[in-house]
Amino acid sequence: MASRYDRAITVFSPDGHLFQVEYAQEAVKKGSTAVGIRGTNIVVLGVEKKSVAKLQDERTVRKICALDDHVCMAFAVLTIFIGLTADARVVINRARVECQSHKLTVEDPVTVEYITRFIATLKQKYTQSNGRRPFGISALIVGFDDDGIPRLYQTDPSGTYHAWKANAIGRSAKTVREFLEKNYTEDAIASDNEAIKLAIKALLEVVQSGGKNIELAIIRRNQPLKMFSAKEVELYVTEIEKEKEEAEKKKSKKSV
Amino acid sequence: MAATFFGEVVKAPCRAGTEDEEEEEGRRETPEDREVRQQLARKREVRLLRRQTKTSLEVSLLEKYPCSKFIIAIGNNAVAFLSSFVMNSGVWEEVGCAKLWNEWCRTADSTHLSSTEAFCGFYHLKSNPSVFGSCPRKNMQITVLTCRHVTDYKTLESTGSLPSPFLKALKTQNFKDPACCPLLEQPNIVHDLPAAVLSYCQVWKIPAILYLCYTDVMKLDLITVEAFKPILSTRSLKSLVKNIPQSTEILKKLMTTNEIQSNIYT
Repeated sequence: MASRYDRAITVFSPDGHLFQVEYAQEAVKKGSTAVGIRGTNIVVLGVEKKSVAKLQDERTVRKICALDDHVCMAFAVLTIFIGLTADARVVINRARVECQSHKLTVEDPVTVEYITRFIATLKQKYTQSNGRRPFGISALIVGFDDDGIPRLYQTDPSGTYHAWKANAIGRSAKTVREFLEKNYTEDAIASDNEAIKLAIKALLEVVQSGGKNIELAIIRRNQPLKMFSAKEVELYVTEIEKEKEEAEKKKSKKSV
Repeated sequence: MAATFFGEVVKAPCRAGTEDEEEEEGRRETPEDREVRQQLARKREVRLLRRQTKTSLEVSLLEKYPCSKFIIAIGNNAVAFLSSFVMNSGVWEEVGCAKLWNEWCRTADSTHLSSTEAFCGFYHLKSNPSVFGSCPRKNMQITVLTCRHVTDYKTLESTGSLPSPFLKALKTQNFKDPACCPLLEQPNIVHDLPAAVLSYCQVWKIPAILYLCYTDVMKLDLITVEAFKPILSTRSLKSLVKNIPQSTEILKKLMTTNEIQSNIYT
């Protein structure tokens, strides 16, 4: 049945599937794993960074991007797109233009929800036009609004968007999400450091080569966004490993 | 077949008559054609070679090394599981390899394939000869491990809600032990080499079981390989596996850390 209804985006199958949109969601699973966490006073975005080819300039391969950087008021909207790189670049450009256009027209920076809705509406349009295919990307969008409340939104190729407390997209996202469901507790996000460690721990579940392949960025309330260097990520990773060892020692002591 | 503006594929009507009419003339085979065809057939032969040398195994592999347990791994995740969990305990010795060539191979020269380009390696356990026991075929049990993409799994639920990766099993009538995971339900079918092996075993009444891992990452992936772990508790493999924590370390090393970033997918 799938083969007759899956070649055109504008065709529903008899049982109500839009196969091209579902296939676009498979394209997202081919990208790296990204995780987003909403803490009490902080939002964290982490992504798996694979090594680049020898001759490629590593500096140009940045996955976490700012959509809008409110320099004077120190709010910002950070995002990460997972899936087809070229589709991500196009959507990020459109979103950035929209952020500036909004600021010029309304003299207020965009709220996180507004820009998420803009991106989601754009993605939905491409699921309803003939001759075009859906964007093969999912996004995690984080930031603080004027009211100081942290926000995390996720969009997918069909154009839906939802607010989340913590979520993961990309390869093995399900495993990471299950880890987050078990470990996202009030204690875990009580302090900023704990929220950062939770994001790194979640990524380490699926990242095979450890801390040097993790890119991390945070925004704290009323502070500019901060991209972590590899060394800083390594520091957290060593701390996590130490805690793990201590927990295992305690366990073996108890059982003895 | 033609694609319309909207991208649907339709069968284009042919006005030149039916496609069944074939020209009878001009199809006579010249001796040259026959020669080329024979050369191609020789090139495509599957050759069983003994142990990294170029001497071929004249005797059938199973007669020379009769075995009671035969484990086949197909696909890079299944092979990684076998090499890190099963083959690291005990000393396994390579007894031979199979080399073949067809038009899809990237090397043009079939006679000088190095050992690393063998398509299939055969190993036997040196320290435990009973695994290769003295009763060929009578007590032989075959285990096949392979992977498949989760979108091939036909189910009423949407693939997004499946707990991938997950394991399914399919066994022949003579296999009496219980499988360590649920059996593969209809209408799912098995394809390619695992299907051929299982069909052969069913016809010749050899007990065999296939463990099929449905995953959404077809490349070498830690989580997919670990999905095969329940197999280690089955009766046939329990005796072969000794050191599990060490295996996890070996597995991590196998995962290439220089997996280059694909430029298409971010």
